[in-house]
Formats: sequence, structure tokens, C-alpha cells
Amino acid sequence: MIRERLARHLDPLLAAGAVALAGYGGLLIYSASLSSYPQGITGPEHPLVKQALLAVLGIVLMVLLMLTDYRLFGRVAPALYGVGLLLLVAVLLVGDESLGSRRWLSLGPLQVQASELAKPFTIIALARYMADRPLDMARRRHFLATLAMGLVPAVLVMLEPDMGTAIIFGSIWLVMALLGGVRPSYVALLVAVLVLSIPLVSAAALSDYQRQRLALFFNPNLDPLGGGFNVLQAEIGIGSGGLFGKGLFQGSQTQLDFLQTATTDYIFSVLGEELGLMGALLLLALYVVVIFRCLRAASLSYDLFGRLLATGIAVMLLVQVFINVGVNVRLLPVTGIPLPFISQGGSSLVMTFMALGLVQSVLLRRRPFEP
Amino acid sequence: MATTTRRWRSPRPRRRDEKSPVAGRGGFLLLRALVLLLMAVLVGQLVRLQVVEGERFQQMAAINALRELQLPVSRGLIYDRGGRPLVYNRISYDAAVIPADVRPEQEGRLFQELGQLLGVPPEELAAAFREARGRQSPYDPLVVKEGLSREQALALKEREPLLPGVRLLLRTVRDYVSGPALAHVVGYTAPIAAEELAALQGLGYHLHDWLGKTGVEATYEAILRGNPGRLLVEVDAAGRPRRTIAQRPGQDGSSLLLTIDLDLQRRLYEALSAQVAPGQVAAAALMDVRTGEVLALVSLPSFDPNLFARPEGRAQAAALLSAPGKPLLNHALGELYPPLDTFKPLVAAAALQEGVIRPDTVLRNLSRYLMVSNPLDPRAVSDIIFDPQVLGELDLGRALAQGANIFFAQIAGGSPEGGLRGLGEERLARYARAFGLGRATGIDLSGEAAGLVPDARWKEEALGDPWRPSDTYRFGLGQSYLAVTPIQVLVATAALANGGSVLRPHLVREVRTPEGRVLAETREEVRSRLGIAPEHLAAVRSALVRAVDEGVARAAAVRGLRVAAITAAGEGGHVWLAGFAPADQPLVALVVYMAQGSVERAGTVAAQLLDYMFNQSGIAQALREGRR
Repeated sequence: MIRERLARHLDPLLAAGAVALAGYGGLLIYSASLSSYPQGITGPEHPLVKQALLAVLGIVLMVLLMLTDYRLFGRVAPALYGVGLLLLVAVLLVGDESLGSRRWLSLGPLQVQASELAKPFTIIALARYMADRPLDMARRRHFLATLAMGLVPAVLVMLEPDMGTAIIFGSIWLVMALLGGVRPSYVALLVAVLVLSIPLVSAAALSDYQRQRLALFFNPNLDPLGGGFNVLQAEIGIGSGGLFGKGLFQGSQTQLDFLQTATTDYIFSVLGEELGLMGALLLLALYVVVIFRCLRAASLSYDLFGRLLATGIAVMLLVQVFINVGVNVRLLPVTGIPLPFISQGGSSLVMTFMALGLVQSVLLRRRPFEP
Repeated sequence: MATTTRRWRSPRPRRRDEKSPVAGRGGFLLLRALVLLLMAVLVGQLVRLQVVEGERFQQMAAINALRELQLPVSRGLIYDRGGRPLVYNRISYDAAVIPADVRPEQEGRLFQELGQLLGVPPEELAAAFREARGRQSPYDPLVVKEGLSREQALALKEREPLLPGVRLLLRTVRDYVSGPALAHVVGYTAPIAAEELAALQGLGYHLHDWLGKTGVEATYEAILRGNPGRLLVEVDAAGRPRRTIAQRPGQDGSSLLLTIDLDLQRRLYEALSAQVAPGQVAAAALMDVRTGEVLALVSLPSFDPNLFARPEGRAQAAALLSAPGKPLLNHALGELYPPLDTFKPLVAAAALQEGVIRPDTVLRNLSRYLMVSNPLDPRAVSDIIFDPQVLGELDLGRALAQGANIFFAQIAGGSPEGGLRGLGEERLARYARAFGLGRATGIDLSGEAAGLVPDARWKEEALGDPWRPSDTYRFGLGQSYLAVTPIQVLVATAALANGGSVLRPHLVREVRTPEGRVLAETREEVRSRLGIAPEHLAAVRSALVRAVDEGVARAAAVRGLRVAAITAAGEGGHVWLAGFAPADQPLVALVVYMAQGSVERAGTVAAQLLDYMFNQSGIAQALREGRR
């Protein structure tokens, strides 16, 4: 039974897109680590080796999840959600601090970014809640309940502080809620209130660190060698890439270490500098393919839970890509969000593969029963 | 079995019906549109950055990664005419930080460590660093400490790779061995000033360059400096060179062989210093009358040029600018004084040439004073000219030797009774200019004053006052508006001595490559000829010998040497001596000026110097034979 489904409904384009992105990312990580590892790959400590091993792990887990019935996760959704929240709380209490924020939990030798797990868990929980009440969602209490479910993790990551991930939680909730049947006027009201309260929030709730980052976004020249350095250097890197780039491994901004965190938050600048606009367009095209295939899986599913789940994952990918690239090209204030499949970092890579495994699982089981 | 309906791929799936109240098709359409919209926003920004503004960012990336480094070359040395070094080069180690290469989060640790290494409080480093940030390009090294000890330099070099942005800079520092004795000739070097940098940037000067500020160090800056090499390197974000893109080797500066004789210079410095009170203005110079080579040149008060090598010294040096006597000013050529009686030999030569008097013309003067009457009101006296005593009958020789004033006033302005037609203002000015007064002598030192030779037109224009007869009288006595530098008096005296050539005085004989090959030699340069017949000049010369033998310049007499000289003493203690020796075959001309002194003191200086030169050392002999 499973074999036949595999054969018939599997979306090879989705899988191929994900693998292609991870490969693209590997290439860029290699280039960005050339200045630290000028000899290339000489041992297992090279970032590309680590990333490749994690990609293999991610692909294996993706296949496993694909074979697993996604509805299983729906059944344990409250527990997953609870675990997600626990992780977010734990990271605030015992997390490792880096670059001014606490995001990582050390589990033995592994460092796990708690929010990477909390994101899919929250998506599953939201999908389950809405799927259980298909005709009832217009009621205010359900609106408030889903809002709370999205808000709690968002507030927790904001405390790390990680504004970007909080925005991702918010976006996921917004799209899923609208799609899940929440009355649009409630959402509109909420958005209006939020917009109006921006000045208040920025004065009161943002930490100094975030306010500084915002100020630097609007004028990085305030401190060209300090906090504004990354923003400016990323922009210079991308801008100097031009139409076709300076060639792989040839970017002066990348290879001479002007770009900080070139393998993670600013890896898009490596791409922009070395492969130019064409390379960037290729990357964005791959993302469009993957996201569209997720939305296709969602729209094909007969199961509301599956539809919402796949949609949530698509939105998660979309917002992450938009925020990361937006920061790199100075459309958005600086906030450290990994670029899915591309940025160095295990949590994000493995979890994104696994999320796509869930999408495939939804696709394989899109019909209540096979004819 | 319905196998026929089975296909390898599932049949093109149908979208779910749109009637469902939730998660409908319209929502997915909107979502897809949202995906494309957000991607379009990113692409739009990418096109703006990479295509529209791409060129600008490419330049910025290049500026980031390329840096021009200077390869230091050693500055040319300076020798006296006998090849004795007047300055040595010494390596100085400076600690510098390149602000662009220091990340803010590293600052604390960096200053801590650097401060410990250099023995400077970290707060001081941080303050200097912050202050420099706004002032200079972040890529220019900021020198945080000059003149490290060898141990400090070694320790810093060792730590350089671990301290991002920290550089050990090597610089040559000048050691002026002759100190204050030659300060105004050799000059000194100091860090380039902002306005100099702005003017010289085209020549490849950089923020931390040193350059000659005065003396031949300044005049011959271009020759001494050499050609610093250039290294275009690609640097990483910590400023560490990764790869050399282009290289141009440097060239050491050429050396200068001065006309100065170190022994004479020292002698003159000592003799003059001994005759004036500390802080008093005085100047003296000695020149070869055949070539214009300056053999010695002293200006007092002097200073130690080595002061400028260290930052503490430079702070002190600022006070020198306003110290009494203005030590940094070269009084031999930077300040103007009335020439007084040293002008009289020039008037005498002019009068002979113009036929106003003949060598045997005798003017009788039975009065000690000459009243100059107002031409508009003959009864009113506008000026009175005194002689030191009633001198009676005077010929030119006696008049010069005895310091007669009325005699020279008369040949300048004519006798009141009309027996003598004087030279007049116009001819006086013409001859004064012929002797080189009223314009810079062209000596190879900066800061030379041109002086002033007055005439009727000048007075009319500058003072709005007509020229009066008394002005002509006073002109003939080297007073009133006439203003000269000691070096101009020296050149004029040399012209009398050498038969009428107005020479350009100079301080550099040869320019040599670092290997010692002669690049250029300075030849004597006759700027103009006096146009005065040799016999008239000879008459003046013998009159000047009389002044030494039996007249006003007796103090300049030297045993076994015929010296010709004139002295002058003016109001307020101004004293001059101008002369040459030997009188019959002149070799050197000499000038001494003291702002506060006496004729005897000036004469002593001259006598001591000439005695040393002609009698005690072989310098005069060697000079005459061209050996020195």
C-alpha cells in the first residue's frame, strides 16, 4: 500500500528542489569557509563536511517522516506543542548565549536551536486545533485560542531576543488562521491594533540590542566599523557582484573576511557577490519551486489537518527566505534568521528537511482512501 | 482488474472543491500570489543593488580590499664641504593602530594588551583612538606611541599577528650631530602638517610622513626624501596583507654636500655666542667671494634641531616660536635691519662711478653737524646730521675709515652751498639695487626677506608722503627706509671685493647618490654685474683697509692678514661689521650683525674667525687651492 502511494503521489520535484538547495548551500559554505580553511576539505571539522553529514541525516529523516502517517503527529499535537514551549523556556534559562542573544540548547555534544523545533510543533498544533473545528472557527473564542497558541512561542523567542523568529511565528499564525476559517475581520482588527501600537512597543518592549539594530538599519553609517559593519559589508558584497558575480571563490568581500558570519546569516551575500544576480535568481527560483510544491500538496489534500500543516510549512519557508534575504539586501532590519537549506547550521537544515518530509507525507495520504 | 486505469504517475490531480468553507482554493491562489510578490520585492532590490548601483559597490569593495603601503626608504644624508656628516639616520619604532581593522568588540582587550606592552594607560589609547576616528581616514595608521625601545618593538612585532590592526612602523629619525651650531642651515624634520599634506598629496605624501621644515632639509626635501616604494596589496578584513598586486621599489634619498665648513661654522657659532647675551639676536655669515659658497652661517638665538624628533620635544618647540629672540627664525636672512654705515662703501663706489667725487676729492668740514633745511621754508631746519667729531678735511678713504656722516650725506644729497651735486635718490636706489639690495639673494634657504630700497615713487605710494631732501641724506647713511638682511650686506660686500659680481649665495655644493656618485654640482652664479669700474672698486677697498688699520674697524684687525671692513653702530645698540680678507686678493667676505652689541664685540668675532681661518688652520690655504 505504502509502496504504491510512494510511487504514485510522491512529489519528486519537491524532493529534488530541497536537495538542490542543500547542494547549492554546500557550495556557498565551502566558498565562505575558504578563508578559514584555505586548504579546502582536509578533515571532518570542515563546515562543509558537517553540513553534508547533517544533510544526509535530514534526508533520511525526511524519508522516514514521508513514510510515517502525518496524522500521527496530529494526535500528539498538544504534547509536541508543550515540548516546543518547554524548549523555548529552557533556552531562556539555560541556553548558550552568542552575539547578544540566547538561542541554543546544549544537548551533550549537540547544540540545538530551540525555535527550529518549536516552529514545526506550533504549526502542527495550530493545524490540529483548526482542523478539529472546521465549521466553528469563525467564533471569537477560537480566534483567541489560536492567537494565544501563536503568541506564546512568539513572545518566548522575542525574549531571547530573536525578533525575526517571532515574526515568523506571527506570520505562520496569520496565514494559517485565515486559511483555517478565522473571521477575517478579527484578524484585520488585530493587525490594525498592532500597527498602531508599533511606536509604543518599540519604546517599551524592544531591548536596547534590538533598538540599536533597528537604528543601524536605518543608518548603518552611524557606526561603520561597529554594529553597522555587517549591514554595509553585506550590501557592498551583493552590490559588487553585479549581474554575473565575481566568480565562485573569487569574491573579495567573502574571501578577505569582510563579511562576518558568512556561512550563516550572511551567506546570501556570498552568493550575491560571487554569482551575481543570476545566481541569486536561481536560488529564489528554487525556493519558489519548493514553496509552490508545498502549497500544491496542501491544496491537493482532502484532509484539513494536512492542508493546514503543509500550508504552515510553506509559509514558514517563505517568511524565512524573505527575512533572511531581505536583511542581506538591506530591505529589513538586521535579525539573524538562517536561510533554509543554505545557511550552515544543523537545526535549521535537519528540521527543514523533516518539514518537507511531513509535506510529502500529506501528499502521499491526500485522499481518505485510495481508489 | 481495473489495471488499465492505473498509471505510473497518479492522474493529474484535481483540486479540491471550492465550496468548502475553509482552506479554499481562493486562499491558495492568494498565497501563491503572495509568494511571487515577496520574491519580486527581493528581486527588485537585488536589481537595484547589483545592476543599477553595481558599479558604486564594486568600487567600495575594491577600496575595502586594496591598500597601498609605503616601503620606507632612507633619507639622504647631509655632509659638510669636507665630507663630514652633519646628520645621521636612526631607526625609530612607532606603534600604530589602523582603526579600520579594529572591531569595536575587540577594542577593550586590544587597548589593555597594547597599553601593557607600551606602558601607556589603556584609557589614553582609547581616547586617542576615538579622537582620531573622526579626524582621519580609518585606513590610515594612528601612531599611538613614538620611539619604542628595542625590547618594546620586538615584543610588539611578536604580538602583531594576534593584535588585529596593530602595526609596528619603522621610521628614520634624524640625529643632528652639530646641534644648535648648524640649526638654521641644516634645519630639521617633523611630522607633516595637515595643510602641507593637502598641498603635497599629489607627490605621494601620507599622513604619517615626516618632512624637512626648515633649512636645507626643507629646501632640498625632494632630493633628500628619495622615492618611497609602493606596494599595492590585497588585505583581509583585519588589514593583514594577503597578496601583493603590484610593487614599485623605492629609491633612497640623495645626499647633500654643503658648502659649509664644519670647523669654521663651529668657530663662528662659538665666537658669536661668546659676544652676545643669551637670547639676544645676532647673525653672522662667511662667504667665498669667488663662488658665493657660504662657508659658515649662524643665527642666534639658536635651538636644538633634535628636539623635534620626539613628541615631548615638539610640544616644547611650539614655545620656541614665541621665545625671546625668535630662535626658529633665521636672523641672517629672515629679518630686516637698516644697514647703517655698511651702506657707505656702496655709496662711495656709486659716487666714484657717477663722477660725483673723485678718489682725491676733499671735502672740508669745520662743523660737527649739518643742518638740512626745509626746501619750502629755508629758515626751518628739518634734519641735523652729526659727525662723531669735527673731522676737518676728508677724502674718501678717511671719510670711510673715520665713520664720517656729513661727507656721505653730502655725496648722497649734495652740499647745501651747492658746491657738490649729490647722487640723488634715484641713483642711490639704482646702485643699491645693483648691489643686490631690495630683492632676495636667492640663497637656498626658505624664509628669506627681500628688503626695501626706497625711492620717491615708493614713498609716495606706500606712505603718501613726498620724498624730502633729508630722506636723500639719510639714504646715503644707510638709514631711514632702507632695510636689508645680513646676507644681502654679505653679498654686496662680496661684490665690492670680487670686482663687481653679485653672486647668488648657496649652501649646497654637490648632490650625491646614496652610493656616492655626484649627481649635480652647484656652480657659482653671477646674478648681475655692478657696472662700476675696477679702479673705483679698488679705491673703496683700500678705504676699507684703512678703516681696519686706523679707523672704526680696528677691532677686526688680524695679525699677518690685511683685512678690509666697515663697522656701524646705530641707535639702540644695532651693530654691524661687513668686510673681506685678504684685502689685496679677496677670498672671503664676512658679515656680523648684533641687535645689542658694540663695534668692538662685532670686530672680535670677525677677527677671531679670520685669525682661525687664515692663521691657525689651513682652511684659507686649502680653500684658495681648491682643495677644500
